[in-house]
Amino acid sequence: MADTDTRVDTTPPPPSGWSRLPMIPGPWETLVIVWRRLRKMSTALVLLFCLAVATIVATFIPQEPLVPDTVASWRAGSAGPGATIAGILDGAGLFDVFASWWFATLTVLLLISLTGCLLPRYRAFWRTARREPAVGRNFERLGNHVQLRTDLPPDAALAGVDGVLARRRFRRRTVPADDAPSGRPQIAAERGHWREGGNLVFHTAIYVLLIGAAVSQLFGFTGQINVVEGSAFTDTRIVYGNVRAGRGFGVEDHRGFQVRMDDFAATYHGDGTPDDFVSTVSILEGGQVTAADQVIRPNHPLSVDGMKLYQLRFGMAPRVVVRAGDTVLYDDAVMMADNSGVWTGTAKIKTTEPDQIALDLALLPDFAVDAQGRPFSRSAEPDNPVLFADLWVGELGLNRPVDASRFLRDGEPVASATLLPGDTSDPLVGQELTVEFAELPMWSGLQVSYAPGHRILLAGAALLLVGLISSLYAYRRRVWAEAHVDADGVTTVTIAGVALQRKVVFADAFRALAEDVRSALPAPGDRAAEEVATDAQHG
Amino acid sequence: MLSMADGSNTLFFLALGLYIAAMVGAFFRMAFTQADGEGRLVATPAARVAGRAATGLAVAGAAVHLASVVSRGVASGRVPWANMYEYSSVMALIAVVGGLVFVQRRWGHGHLMGFVLAAAVVMMAAGAMLWVPAGPTVPALESYWLKIHVTAMVSASAVFILAAVATGLYLARDTAERRLAVRSGRHYGPGSVGAASVDVAAPEQPGATIASPLELRRVVSPLWFVAVPTAFFAVWGLLKYDPVRAASMAPVGALLGVAAWYALPHLPAAAELDTLSYRLTAFAMPIFTFAIICGAIWGEEAWGRYWGWDPKETGSFFTWVLYAAYLHARATYGWRGRRAAWVGLGAFVALMVTYFAVNLVVVGLHSYAT
Repeated sequence: MADTDTRVDTTPPPPSGWSRLPMIPGPWETLVIVWRRLRKMSTALVLLFCLAVATIVATFIPQEPLVPDTVASWRAGSAGPGATIAGILDGAGLFDVFASWWFATLTVLLLISLTGCLLPRYRAFWRTARREPAVGRNFERLGNHVQLRTDLPPDAALAGVDGVLARRRFRRRTVPADDAPSGRPQIAAERGHWREGGNLVFHTAIYVLLIGAAVSQLFGFTGQINVVEGSAFTDTRIVYGNVRAGRGFGVEDHRGFQVRMDDFAATYHGDGTPDDFVSTVSILEGGQVTAADQVIRPNHPLSVDGMKLYQLRFGMAPRVVVRAGDTVLYDDAVMMADNSGVWTGTAKIKTTEPDQIALDLALLPDFAVDAQGRPFSRSAEPDNPVLFADLWVGELGLNRPVDASRFLRDGEPVASATLLPGDTSDPLVGQELTVEFAELPMWSGLQVSYAPGHRILLAGAALLLVGLISSLYAYRRRVWAEAHVDADGVTTVTIAGVALQRKVVFADAFRALAEDVRSALPAPGDRAAEEVATDAQHG
Repeated sequence: MLSMADGSNTLFFLALGLYIAAMVGAFFRMAFTQADGEGRLVATPAARVAGRAATGLAVAGAAVHLASVVSRGVASGRVPWANMYEYSSVMALIAVVGGLVFVQRRWGHGHLMGFVLAAAVVMMAAGAMLWVPAGPTVPALESYWLKIHVTAMVSASAVFILAAVATGLYLARDTAERRLAVRSGRHYGPGSVGAASVDVAAPEQPGATIASPLELRRVVSPLWFVAVPTAFFAVWGLLKYDPVRAASMAPVGALLGVAAWYALPHLPAAAELDTLSYRLTAFAMPIFTFAIICGAIWGEEAWGRYWGWDPKETGSFFTWVLYAAYLHARATYGWRGRRAAWVGLGAFVALMVTYFAVNLVVVGLHSYAT
């Protein structure tokens, strides 16, 4: 320290004719400038607005993780503003805003800004919160002050005030006469550090939330699987579709339990609106049933071994048996998708070339014919299911890596059949193929998730809320009390207070406090404690 | 059961009518309030009658409205705020009750009630366009979280409506106060809102009198007050409905605009309106935060993820960020006052866009309009 004091500025003054170019900051200075800029509240506000704009963009431009089909049609130009604009949007990462580089940059900048705002405030709070309540002066000039008279000697009167302040959870200290500006002993009290404390908790909670989200992302897993009634799946990576697995959740982290779909039931109200979707499953471990009759329904997930199973979707899955003569070519349940009342699906019967065989299937769960003679489904319940099967034979391209429903259809199907449950079709063209509609089970779509960050997130959310409430409603206020013996031998107690925030609320609180002090101190003689002056100013 | 549902609809429209009558009464109260020679506003006997009638009608309207909501709940056998019609209705009810209890009775800003009622009427009318028969809801909504999440959300939204009324009127009043202060060359202390913000160097005229509050009306042109809401309602009608309805909606905007201009002298001082909108926002913000958190917990339970950037989630995050920015702006030098108010108004627009547009225009998991 000593040598810095003796150091002399030895930088020579710039010679005349020196370049008049502005000083270009070096990399270190740039960093310092950026850091100072980021620490400003106004920068934080601008960054918040940018974040807000980003989210509104994401609200009105379709997002790939949510609606991939819409995004695909925007890219192709068949929907939205056209392929050219879609290309520009794509280039800017606007189809997946929350995974784009600039959204990440924005978040990081906000975090740096937040850190820059918080660090000095932590330091200041640490100092302020530990500091003793400050000594008061010029009580009569404060907005809130009151004088009371009592029989007690000054010391005892101050002790009484101290008791009232203690009950109101003020932090107090007694200032000896020597240290007080008025030369009289004083009680200095303060509370409401929770305003700034809550503020810090609130902002710190944002870090906690981000940590929780990151933990969920890194160590979590989400996969989806469709299971037909009566069949089962084992919790292994390979069985799931739409997998999102964090780096920290490896293939070996799957639990290996078995889930058997015992029953699925979809019920409807009279007007056809859905009432409930319920999967009943059994959990098996090592071939043994460890939990039977477990129910999964909307808003009611099932926990198994730390993983959660959610009811996601469902559908019809007619079991179809295809035979060539007496040889069974195919015997499986075909999971169908709902196309506004008509369930459709595809079955690959024979994939070896030549003469591949496939079935296009359509199902009306509650078959009826309308006035124009067109078939339709009266309800969503399988009260009168009818299966329509179109048989395709030939070069169908069934071995291509595309969805089964997109096999090559040239011309017309070679044969068609309309079947009720239990029906077997007449032998169809040439090969003596028969198609049987054996039974009509349902399939149920489950989501299987592992989310380890949830406790952290919940804690973060709780902190956020607690911090927010106390930062909005707590307020710093200071109260002082002094007592002296008047010329007439009666003790006069002066109480004064000031609030840094919520001054209107404090004016009421101060009045109540003065009232409490008055009833705590015995009045002089037989008179009630006399209020000499009250001036509670609204501010 | 059906008659219960019909009764609820009838009561809804009866409440709407009572609110409109109360609103007219509140505006009449304002019109009958005069300024005396010293610039104080004095209520004439007619104003007192109109004011009492307005309060009575508003209370009666709220009672009828409550009956409508309760009977709707009985008819559908669940909490009556599970679709947009019901949500709008409950939001308007809470706004009116909050306005009566806090804004009028507790804080004594009775002249604001006309605007609070107008906001409630607009909200109910918008809700009535989205009417659906009373009935059960989809399985995804059948959870106790519906009670917690949506109740918190509807309460927060209702208080945000009150805050937005205060904020909008603050901006109008602040403009008028500043202009009047500049024109009369009066010196005010340093401050950030209304007349207090104007620091005029010119010395005071000796013996200058306080300008009549009625002057506030003269310094701002009623043109903007009429044009902006008229255009807003017309565009809304054109986008959402048809030219005929747009043409009938536009005059509503014009009337409300005129009322806001006419109310300038009667409104609380800009500083008071600013405090009012801050208090209301600060009250609603924790509830709103709680509602979003509950939504995340519910999302985890119903859809298997706590946050998926679904349009509604994104919209509410956007709204939350803007309200957070408002609270920060109000504590930031150079932002408090008008700029903060614009942020607050923007946040309210975001809230409404998240509520209406995201439900009706953008398809997402939260599209529960029907």
